[in-house]
This record gives sequence, C-alpha cells and structure tokens, in this order.
Amino acid sequence: MASSAARAEVLSLLRSLLRTATKFSDYNIREYAKRRAIDGFRDNRGLTDPSSIAAAFADGKSQLEVAKRQAVVYSLYAPRIKSVMEAESP
Amino acid sequence: MATAAASRLLRRALNPAVARRRFSTAAVAAETPPSPLPSATGEEEAGMVSMKGVRISGRPLYLDMQATTPVDPRVLDAMLPFYLSRFGNPHSRTHLYGWESESAVEAARASVAALVAADPKEIFFTSGATESNNISVKGLMRFHRARKHHVITTQTEHKCVLDSCRHLQQEGFEITYLPVRPDGLVDLGHLADAIRPDTGLVSVMAVNNEIGVVQPLEEIGRICREKGVVFHTDAAQALGKIPIDVEKMGIGLMSLSGHKIYGPKGVGALYVRRRPRVRIEPQMNGGGQERGIRSGTVPTPLVVGMGAACDIAMKEMNYDGRRISALQERLLNGIRAKLDGVVVNGSMEHRYPGNLNLSFAYVEGESLLMGLKEVAVSSGSACTSASLEPSYVLRALGVDEDMAHTSIRFGIGRFTTEAEIDKAIELTVGQVEKLREMSPLYEMVKEGIDIKSIQWAQH
Repeated sequence: MASSAARAEVLSLLRSLLRTATKFSDYNIREYAKRRAIDGFRDNRGLTDPSSIAAAFADGKSQLEVAKRQAVVYSLYAPRIKSVMEAESP
Repeated sequence: MATAAASRLLRRALNPAVARRRFSTAAVAAETPPSPLPSATGEEEAGMVSMKGVRISGRPLYLDMQATTPVDPRVLDAMLPFYLSRFGNPHSRTHLYGWESESAVEAARASVAALVAADPKEIFFTSGATESNNISVKGLMRFHRARKHHVITTQTEHKCVLDSCRHLQQEGFEITYLPVRPDGLVDLGHLADAIRPDTGLVSVMAVNNEIGVVQPLEEIGRICREKGVVFHTDAAQALGKIPIDVEKMGIGLMSLSGHKIYGPKGVGALYVRRRPRVRIEPQMNGGGQERGIRSGTVPTPLVVGMGAACDIAMKEMNYDGRRISALQERLLNGIRAKLDGVVVNGSMEHRYPGNLNLSFAYVEGESLLMGLKEVAVSSGSACTSASLEPSYVLRALGVDEDMAHTSIRFGIGRFTTEAEIDKAIELTVGQVEKLREMSPLYEMVKEGIDIKSIQWAQH
C-alpha cells in the first residue's frame, strides 16, 4: 500500500506531466500526452509490489524529462498556422 | 614594432575576461527571439493556408497513416543527440565518436530484433522497406539462380515487390502472381498448388497498405516450411501493430520500415534468417558494412530513431491497438448511420483496424477528395495515385470500376483523437451527400431503376 507521502509524490508527477503536456504546440501530440499520462496512471493504480511501483514511478519521471525537452523543441518549430481542430475550438 | 595602442588591442583580444563580457547575459537577452520558420506553404495570411489553389483555415487533420506517420516525440528525443554532439561514424574504430555511435546502432538493432522475436545478428539496416524488398526478391533469387527459377507472389503486393519480380522476369525467371479472394486474402490451396520444385521464394505481404487486410502468415509459413521454400513477407505496415514472431510464422526474409511506426523516414531493416541459413546476394556493394549484406555508412540518427520507435511500439502495442479499434468502429458506424451505399473493401475480420478503405456508391472519387480539403486522406495508395487508373489492389479484389474509383482510405494512428474522427465523419458525410444530390445516377437509383440494366448509347 502506498504511503501518503508516496501518494503525494505520484500525484505531483501526474500534475507535472499534464502541465508539460499543455505546453506542446502540436494539437495531436498535446492531446496524446494528456491522454496517455492519465491512462497510464489509471492502469497502474492497482500496483502493490513496491519494486514495480518504483519502476513505474522512475519510468514516469524519465518520460517527464523527455516531454519537457520536446515541448521546447516543438515550440521552436511550431508552424504559424494551427490545425483545423484548433481553429474551431473556442 | 608594437605601439602601446597595438599591444593594448592585442591584450584585449586575447584576454578571455574581456571577450566574455561581450557575450554577457544582458546582451543575449536583448537579442530578438528566433524568427518564425520560412513559410513552406504558398501563402499564410490572416490565418489561412493557400496552396495549389486550395484555401483552408488551418492544417488538415491527418488521417493518412499508411502513407506515413508523424515522428513520436520520444523518438525525436532519442535521435537529436546524434545530430548534435554524437555525430560519429559507427564504422570508425579508433575513437570515442565511432565507439559510441556503434554502440547506439547495436542497441537499436537489438530493439528491432526484440519486436519480431529475432536475434540481433539477423537484422540489417537499409534505407527503407523498398530497398529491403529489392534485396529480398532479387538478392535471394540471383544467389540461387542455378537451381531456383520460380517466384510466387500475390497481385496485391506493394509496387516495389511487383516491379522487382518484373525485373527478374526480364532476367529469365518465372513469376506466378496469385490472385486473391474478394476479401483480399490469399487462397492457401492455390498457394500450395503453385509451389514447384524449382520455386525459390514465396512473397506475401503481412498487412496490405491499401486495404488493411492481414494475411494468414502462420499458415503460409507452415506451407513454405513443409515444401522447403523461403517465405518473404513485407511487414512494413505490420511492424509494431500486429504481433510478429519469425519462429511461429516461419519467416525467412522480412522487410521493415521506420516511418510507418512513428520513426524517421529514410531507414528500414531487413530480417534474414540464420537457422536454417538464408543466403542472399548483396545489391549494394562497397565497404562490406552490415556483414557485407548492405554496404554504406549506417545512418546512426535514423537507426537510433527506428530502434526507439520499436521500443515504444513494443510497450504501446496493446494500448494503441485497443484505442485504434474503437476509433475505427466509431468512424465506420458514424458514416454508416448517415449514409447508405458504403462498402468496406477487404475482409472485416482479418484486418488491421487502423486502415479503413471505403467505397461510396454513386460518387466520383476525385471530386470527393477535392471536397475533403480539411481531412488529409488518400484514395488508392500514395505510390499509384498519380495516374487516373483505379488502384490495382482494388481491381485484384474484383471491385467494380466505378466503386474502385470512389474509394477513400482512412488511416487511424496513435495520435488520432475522437474529435478528429467525429469531424472526419461530419465532413465526409456532408461531401458525399452534396455530390449525391447533384448526381443523376443517384436520382435514378432512388426511383428504383437498376443502373446495371441501362443500355448506354454507343458512340
């Protein structure tokens, strides 16, 4: 069972992933990053074995690093015109 | 003879502290941010894109995953260091740049091998699935030209396989192009009958790029193993999407592509079985790289990208597969709820869900595509859409000419959203209804006239 300190850490990681996801300038990548983070955490919610929890957490942290770097790269090369999906939504 | 001023100038130039001051953070902050990319499209003004006479309000939503896929950000992250500081040639044996490049290539090789349950020694990197197909078909047959003169393939193969076979025909080999059933699957009885003692190769693609049909690889592999013929499969569209096991499927040669699994363009791989050994003649001669099978410097960043893409595909195959199946159902049901006369080309049961090829009756294909400007889809395959001929794959399925002309291929992928599917349904239904409204043929059908019974006037 995850202690409350570990639980807070896990939630903080998810929040960071979602915050980084919103920084992507590409519509498809942004939606995928949000969706995959939420689904990934939901699928792993039932983990009880501490080593697999640690492995999943470490994997999440490394994905966060990748996402942070790539959000910067994508914004450097963002096309001036957005996707039609964004042009419509308010 | 240095004057005091000259020596002061020299001291300033050589003094690193002074030089550092010139590049202080204040100076950098005052610089303007990098200017936006030069516009690649025709014009971009007031939020509109205009190219080839088409004006749209934004970049189209992408539903053409069989043509190519976007590079996954995790793949790009793995590739970038090899374009920046780790730029060495993997074949340089004498320094760190070469060693780190080589170790990255070998790690990528292991990733590709793991995805197909092969040994890394059986994977060779090429420039793409087209090159791998060429090496497989021509390389194998030319090696065995003394005793093997026959190749069996299907009528729905990719152009590069068919073209390589045609080339072999000019060299004196005999090719059997097996027909397929109306659902796109190859008939196993016909295949077994077609095998002769001098058959060297059977080539059947795993997942068809136009109609998405999945061939029965295990059964074909079993037949080929029994008869002692090498089984080659073009798995460019299948890699990372359906589980591939070279042992269970008895595969001897396999072509893989990087840019169909969210990797970079310009790289692919070839699987060549070692036990029992499959011998091929190299088609690219040179310095003997890739164990002599394919000479040429191995492009480290591209290969690392393909390896990363395979790693991701292995982890995400189930998640992506479930999602894409649900999206395909949503698309098909959404279109069928509003339109009749919609035909799916190819078997529904033996299908990769990310590929949906639909024909809309009483509608002309080119005009439908021109109306769907905000959706990036294709009709026929990218390779053959330059000509006005209906796709040879649909013709091999026995689809009527008029239905073949009006086929649209929707490609769903990892990054497709539900909102995009809903918008695609809305745009497609709207466009088809508009065209049918204008179509005199459709009026006749509504009145109950059977179009096939009409005697068109002879000119």
